Amino acid sequence: MDDSQARKFQKDLNAGLVALVLLAVLDGSSEDLYGYEIAKRLQRANEGEALFKEGTIYPVLRTLAAGGFLTSRVVPSYSGPARRYYRITDEGRALLTQWSGIWRQTRGFVDRFIEGTSP
Amino acid sequence: MSAHAPRSIDEYLRQLRAALEGQDPALIQDALYDAEEYLRAELAAHPGKSEADVLELISSTYGAPDEVAAAYRDTEAKVKAALKTPVPAASVSASGWKRFFGVYLDPRAYTSLFYMLLTLATGILYFTIVVTGLSLSAGFAILIIGIPFFLAFIGITRVIALGEGRLIEAVTGERMPRRPMHPGPPAGWLSRIGEMLKDVRTWTTLLYLLVMLPLGIVYFTVTVTALSVGLAFTALPLVVLARWLGWASDVTVFSDDVHLGHWVLSDHSMISALILGALGVLIVTLLLHAARAVGRGHAHLAKALLVVPGA
Repeated sequence: MDDSQARKFQKDLNAGLVALVLLAVLDGSSEDLYGYEIAKRLQRANEGEALFKEGTIYPVLRTLAAGGFLTSRVVPSYSGPARRYYRITDEGRALLTQWSGIWRQTRGFVDRFIEGTSP
Repeated sequence: MSAHAPRSIDEYLRQLRAALEGQDPALIQDALYDAEEYLRAELAAHPGKSEADVLELISSTYGAPDEVAAAYRDTEAKVKAALKTPVPAASVSASGWKRFFGVYLDPRAYTSLFYMLLTLATGILYFTIVVTGLSLSAGFAILIIGIPFFLAFIGITRVIALGEGRLIEAVTGERMPRRPMHPGPPAGWLSRIGEMLKDVRTWTTLLYLLVMLPLGIVYFTVTVTALSVGLAFTALPLVVLARWLGWASDVTVFSDDVHLGHWVLSDHSMISALILGALGVLIVTLLLHAARAVGRGHAHLAKALLVVPGA
């Protein structure tokens, strides 16, 4: 099996899922988080090889903020550039609820076939 | 990508910039900002390791420059398609009359008009800040507070440049940076100042802020004149009609008749009023066209002076 096909499949899957995961992380956090912190949380939660590159979450965070699903504020930092902290908005929570429903439905649907074929 | 793996943050950012070549300069600025935030945080999180060691891990965590560039390109394309203001059909397909009056349906024409009215205020503000900041910097230069004052002043102009860019993007739809310019690695006062003085964008930003005053005066004057004359003329037939009906007998639009060659335009004759009313509509329509064109042109100017020199 070619490794590049696996990577391409993972990338296609991630296209919508990264945004869902980011919304869920921010919804589950009691405090505002900045990009690096979110990336590290995802890294810790994942066992084995990373499912996506952390660099790909930044443009998604920016997109979600532009859509009004996240708010952000900039806080100066001593270790480097100012950090942009994100927080989920009410619209973001509504989107998360909707997307979670779609995700559960999709997962159930896909599993029904995959579990049938696996030994 | 034939480029070898980057061994320093600067090298990583150079490769990322190269991988994004041809993209919107505002997008490049955002991508470089995000990458630098991550890389510096990662470096700070591993105090024992050298920059090269940390960078070695980066391609498996943050992603190699070309992977990150691809993520920004894809996301940007999707967002642009989703957020694009639909162009009214009349302004694209139809020609002639429909196209001329289609401008009334274009939201950009009104937002640009609003921007042109606003520029007098922002122009005065920017001009005052730059002139005050520059002269105080020169004055304080011999004192110990001269250097921090100059740094703070340049910092303020960068914040203004970002805000102005956001405003222009809202008004004209031209993509402008969503992040400020990156201040670069932490460094001493003197090297910071040196960097700022060497950066072309520092000076083009100041130039832009200064030029906004004369431009603002012109934009504001043209808008107010054309708008008041145009709307007054447009309303003239209604005034004459109201006077016939006895509702507005004491309203005078012009105190004297206007003589144009052997034509006499009076604010009592309906024919004069209709001619002037048509002229009024023409003026307002032309103003909206002009506003849309100025909005586009101004966005290009802003991009050339506030964004491009640094990207």
